[in-house]
This record gives sequence, C-alpha cells and structure tokens, in this order.
Amino acid sequence: MDRGLTLYLARRIGLAGLMLFGLICLTFVISNVAPSDPAALAAGPDAGRSQIEQARREYGLDKPLPEQFLRYVGDLAQGEFGRSIATGRSVGTDLLRYLPATLELCILAMLIGVLVGVPLGVLSAVLKDGPIDHVTRIFAVSGIAMPPFWFGLLLQLAFATGLGWLPTSGRLSVMTLPPDPITGLMLVDAVLRGQWDVFREGLSYIILPAIVLSFPCLASILRVNRGEMVETLRADYITAARAHGVTPWRMICVHALRNAMLPTLAIIGLRWGWMMSSTVLVETVFDWPGIGLYAVSSAIAGDFKPVMGVTLIVGLNFMIASLIVDLLYGVLDPRLREG
Amino acid sequence: MPQTTRRAVLLGGAALALAPTAGFTFERDGAKKVMVFSGNQAVPVLDPHMRYDWSTRMIQQSVYDGLLKYVGSPPQIVPWLAESYDTSPDGLTYTFHLAANAKFHDGSPVDAEAVRFSFERALKMNAGIAWMLKDFLKPEKIVAVDARTVRFTLEAAFSPFISYVPWWYIVNPALVKANEVDGDLGRKWMTENGAGSGPFKLRRFDGNALIHLDTAPGYWKGWPMGEEKRLGGVIYRIIRESAPRKAALQRREVDIITNITPDDIGQLERLPGVKIENHPGFTTFGIKFNTKEGPTADVNLRKAIAYAFDYDSLITIHNGAATLMTSPFPASMAGHIDVPNIPRKDLAKAREYLSRSAYPNGGIELEYVHVQGLEDPRRIGLALLDSLRALNISVNIVGQPWTTMVSRGSKPDTAPNMTSIYVTPVGTDPDTVAYQYHRESWGLYYGMSHYDNPEVWQMISTARAETDTARRMALYAEIQRRIVDDQPEIFGMVANRLWSMRDYVKGFAFSPVRFTGEVDLYPMWIEG
Repeated sequence: MDRGLTLYLARRIGLAGLMLFGLICLTFVISNVAPSDPAALAAGPDAGRSQIEQARREYGLDKPLPEQFLRYVGDLAQGEFGRSIATGRSVGTDLLRYLPATLELCILAMLIGVLVGVPLGVLSAVLKDGPIDHVTRIFAVSGIAMPPFWFGLLLQLAFATGLGWLPTSGRLSVMTLPPDPITGLMLVDAVLRGQWDVFREGLSYIILPAIVLSFPCLASILRVNRGEMVETLRADYITAARAHGVTPWRMICVHALRNAMLPTLAIIGLRWGWMMSSTVLVETVFDWPGIGLYAVSSAIAGDFKPVMGVTLIVGLNFMIASLIVDLLYGVLDPRLREG
Repeated sequence: MPQTTRRAVLLGGAALALAPTAGFTFERDGAKKVMVFSGNQAVPVLDPHMRYDWSTRMIQQSVYDGLLKYVGSPPQIVPWLAESYDTSPDGLTYTFHLAANAKFHDGSPVDAEAVRFSFERALKMNAGIAWMLKDFLKPEKIVAVDARTVRFTLEAAFSPFISYVPWWYIVNPALVKANEVDGDLGRKWMTENGAGSGPFKLRRFDGNALIHLDTAPGYWKGWPMGEEKRLGGVIYRIIRESAPRKAALQRREVDIITNITPDDIGQLERLPGVKIENHPGFTTFGIKFNTKEGPTADVNLRKAIAYAFDYDSLITIHNGAATLMTSPFPASMAGHIDVPNIPRKDLAKAREYLSRSAYPNGGIELEYVHVQGLEDPRRIGLALLDSLRALNISVNIVGQPWTTMVSRGSKPDTAPNMTSIYVTPVGTDPDTVAYQYHRESWGLYYGMSHYDNPEVWQMISTARAETDTARRMALYAEIQRRIVDDQPEIFGMVANRLWSMRDYVKGFAFSPVRFTGEVDLYPMWIEG
C-alpha cells in the first residue's frame, strides 16, 4: 500500500475514534440529565427506601458521576456495555442477541433499495421528462416524505388485515422454532440448514418491514442515481462512444452507470447508517425483535444502559459506513488521498 | 451465482405476496391446542422474588404456585400449596399445612423446607415483593416444623399478612442452589428460567418477544376443564402497537388480547367470532394534589377544585366503562364504605370554598401532569381545565415519562400541583390502600400528595395490627371519612378491565385483584 493511502487511512480512523469518544460522552451526559431515578426504577414501584438504596449500591449509582463515567468507559474498553437496570442482564449479551435480527432486516432493505433504486434511476434518466420519470419522481418524493411509522401501519392494514396475505408482525409464527443459529441471520441460517419452510415463512414476515425500511433509502438512491446518470449521459465520452457505434445497452449499463455509481455509492453508505437508526420506528410497528425495539422498550422503562449501548452501536455503524465510503473514494479517486 | 439467488429470492417474495395464506387453524402441539395471548408489555425478569407487574406476574402465576391463591370476583383467597392454615389468637403465629401431593416440575415434592427457603430467599433479596412482609417477618422466624408444616412467627401483629401470601411463590430449592453463581441466590439463572410447581412450565423464553409455556403433564392440582380439554400450552406474544394487536386477533393469529381501550369495544364487538370481557376493575384513578407546597397546600382550594370538577366526564371519556369512586378505597375492597358528602360537581360550593382560600378570585395557573402517551389521563386533564375555568383557574397540562413524573413527585418542592395517578392495590386487605396515606408512603408514586395528618397515620398503624375484624373495619370506615375530609386528591374513578377474545376461548375467570391485563391462564381452554 502506498504511503499516501496509509496516511489517509490513519487520519480517517483517528477521526472516527475521536467521534466515538464524543458520542460516548454525549450519551452518558444525556442519560444522566434525565430527571428519573434509575435506582427507584430498579427497585420497583412499591419499593421502600431501603430497597431503593440497596439497588443504588448494587448498580454503583451511589458513586459520583465522574467515577461512574470512568467505570463506564473502562467497561466499554473491555467490550462491556454495563447492566440493564430492568432485567439485570448484561447489555452486551442483549445486543448480541438482538443485533442479527436488525442486520438481517437492514441488509434485505438495502438489497431492495439498491436493486430497485438503481435500475429505476437509470430508467428515469434515460427516459428523462417522460411519464416514467414523472412517476418515479412522485414515488421518490413520497418515499422520503412519508413517516415510516405511518407507512408501516398502512401496509399492515392493507396486506395483513385487509387482504390477509401476510402476517401482521413478528419474525416467525409463534409455533415455528427458528433454525439453530450459524450466522444469526435467520433467513441465511434457514437456507444453510435446508429448512425451506422456515425460510418461506421468515420471508413472509420480513417482507413488509423491509419494504418500509427500504423506502426512503430506495428513494434517495433513485434520485441521486438519476441525477448522476443525466449528467454522465451528457458527457463527451458518451457522445464519442455513441459515435463509435457502441450499443445503447452497453453504453448505459457499462460506461455511464459505472461513472454514475460513485456518488450513488456515497448515498448508499450514508443511507446504511440512517437505516439502522430508523429501525427504531419500523421495529416497533412490526415487533421485529432487533436493537431498535430493544432501545425503545428500554427507553420507555427509563432503563438507560441499553439505550446508550444501542446508540453506540448505531453511531459506530454510521462511522464504519462512512469510513468505508471514504476509503472507497480514496481508492477510486487518487486526488482525494492528498486532500 | 449470487445474481440468480437474489433474483430467486425476489421472485419467491413476489409469489408469496400473491398467494393468499391457507385457511386458519388452531395452533397445536401434538393433539392439544395452544392458546395465544397478546399484550403490549414485555416480561423482563421471570424471577418471582425479583419483580412483578401485570405481564410478569401472569407468567409467574402460571409457572409457580403460592401457598394460597386469589380467585374470583370479589376476590377470595383459596388454599393452594397449603391445604389449610391456623392463626394464633395474638395474631403473631401462622401455621400452614401443606398438600401431600404437590410436586415441582422435576418431580421433587413441595415440602416445608421449600416454602421456608422461598420466603427466606425473597426476604434476603429485598426486591420485588419483599416490601410486603419484610418489616414483620424475619427469615430466622420461619420454621419447617415437619415435611408438611411451616410456621411463621411475626415480629408484631400484622392483619394484612394472609392477603400478601398468595404473591409469594414457592421455588424449587435444589434447582436454585444448583444454579447459584457467586452467592446470587440463583438470581441470574432465575431471570429466564423457571423452578416452579405450577400448571405450566417454560418452553421458550424471550421476554421481549414471545414466551411459550407448556402445560405441566400431570399437574398435581389437576385441571378444572378435565384432562381431555386442557391446553397443550400457552404462548404470550408481545405486540406493542394496538392496531397490529387488534389485527392479529381479527386474523386469528392470536386468541385473546388485552390493552384495548373503551373506544375499541364497539369496533371489536362487530367482528364475527369475537367477544369482549368488560369488568369493573380495582385500579383507582385519582388526581393527587401537592398538599405541602404551592397553592394546593390550601385545603380550601383543594375542596374548591374537587367541587368544580366535572365527574361525569370521567365516565364519558371511558365510554361508560368506569365507575366513580365513593371512597379512597375501590368498591370491591374489604371495609369499603360509601363516604357521605364525597364531592360531586357543585359550583356554588366550589365558589364558597374558593372564597375562603388565599385565591378568592382565582387568577392562578396550576400544573397537571400525566404519563406521556396515555390518552385517558390527558383527556381527563382537558376536562379539568374546562371545569376550572368557572373558578378562573387555568390548567397547564403536561405529559411526562412515568419515571420523570415519579421522580418529581417524590419530594414536595418538585411535586406538580396535580398529578394523575393510577394505583392497583396488590391485595384485598384495606391496609393496602390505607397505607398509601401513611407518612411511610411519602416519596413513593402513590404518596405524591405528601398527605400529612398524624391522627390518620396513627389510625392506619393501629388498624393493621388490630386482630378483631369488626373493630378493624370500624377504624377503616373512619379513616376513609377523614381522608375524604382532607381532600389530598380528587377521588376519581375505577376503570373497567377489558379483554377481547375469540368466542372459542373458554374458562376466562375475572378477578379484580389481578393487575390490569393479567389473566389467570390455568382455568382456560379452547373449544372447537
């Protein structure tokens, strides 16, 4: 690897580390200014003073805040996220348990976003200002503007209650046992274990939340891709290619699309980061047992360690996604390595 | 090729979306049916000595047995693991005689040592249920006299004792000890595992999504519907949003749901094959005044507000599924009396009290706090706002998270002027409600008024130690009258408890002493 790239990499990773520390400070401060008493929460609604004080000692909440913060950072350094006050369980273990479901949902949503968004983007660029372009524009604007919560309920109403084609919520039917985990991604595990009926059922459960989650992402991929394609199709080398008699199919899909993909890649990375944070809404509507739902139920209960853990994971995911995009840019565009 | 796979996946998805699912069938486990229950609340901790709330206790009551059990409406305490008990005349000693055939799920007998161990464990952990008995019962005063006899000697006479015993579930000592880590009394393991003797045992436990219980074959107490009809198991499925939960019932994905509002009744009743259970509850709703600080420290202002409030709105807001309170105690509680002259809307009286207060012409703003996201208390706040216009008092309605609200209410200088509070008494003994007005309840959510009347406190303390029932109940009658006189809150209403279920669900037995959504799953079955 050349020196420029190494330096670039080091700088980006250093910056990400700094941002992570900032995030840790921020989540800690926010969860501690909230005017609720976590010890009282841990002890339960009818608990007397002695029980509340016992809970306070047990969770180290009697220590001064700076000491609590140092402990928390120390725990994080060892990969520990602290203990949930509502359950007494380790937040790290809980995150490991719920993260695969969220990842699975996000991956599928992203696949839908890319596989539908990119071709539609190309199509509307090629047929610019035609009827298809107008339809996809309306589609894209509503995708970005529609609140996922409401859209989710609407789809449930239509496909689960009304038509009865798909189940309302959850990850699998109550009587079906999930396949023994290999990757933790249930659909993948079902395939690996050859449990096709579980795969089919899992698909019927994931499809609605995945569509809801993918919609804003699909919309922005579509718009960015369209914009770039319109630009690229105007470029001189495309005209030259056309003059050389390159087939339109080859010209659009190979020459133009490859160049238009760079900004699209950036938006995909950004959207991947966004997506994980919007699981909070989508998972609540569909009772999808991922980290978003975990964060919401903990927040409602005033249990902050899980919320901080999820915030860190989501933030970390965001940073990694933008880091990868940055790096890819660095690889693809040598000019940026010096910048 | 990955490309092909993706395409196949998408095509598969499309095909699935186009093909209607097969007709509905009951969930089954072998030859037995499985009932699916859905509510909005998770079950974070199964350990019966650690925590309780409605959803948690519903599962605990299914997996564990107590010495006694609450059944029916009005609630009665019936023998369970204990066949009978004796009380000494001084009210200090309780002796329980255990059933001979009671067995834990692993086949070992539920003996006196298991009972002693369980009570000791709960007291030592000093969490969850411990507050009920810890001031009166010391671990060393619980004695296993022989295999089938346990004797409890209390520190002082405590008449509500028996009313709390049904919530002290008995755990299997061998299993708990085998799973103990660093002297944690098995706490970590018990969070997600069962060690009981109850009608059901755990099959799958994911407290945030789904809990699957199997009926315990050969349950020692037998099955009320008979072996033939008993369920194969019960699934508690958590659906947090109300629209999907109702949809799941309509689609027969679930058989019974809770957390429905009075507004849902009409809509659900119209669905074919769906019925509603609508019962007078036990959960009191009151608007607690801050009696220590601010304008509401003045009893005349409190009375003025109580007489200005439109009580009918409480019933309207609940579509008629509520009853006004006639005392600080809910109607189905022992010792309840209808307190004469409990305020009802009377503007003349309201103005008279206002003229005696420090604000004869009103002109003040009061804060009314309710739990964020709860629709009923918000609407009640609007009714209050509307009522108090007549006194030239304005109301600032504020929604706050439960934890914030409780924190604020724990001290008089931060407690809001008025806070809407629901309280579900944990037992049928009048002390459970009366004690909320005792000095010792300051700082707790139901003690937000910081009610201050040493004479009443003394009566409450005397009544809980009184062993003569007639004298005790006379004391509680006086306590109810005195509390109403002091008006530490607007005594509101008791809302009905609502469930909706498919008509093939049988054996539903309501008992008001259970918490809001909680159902006794043991007597239920599915017919059809």
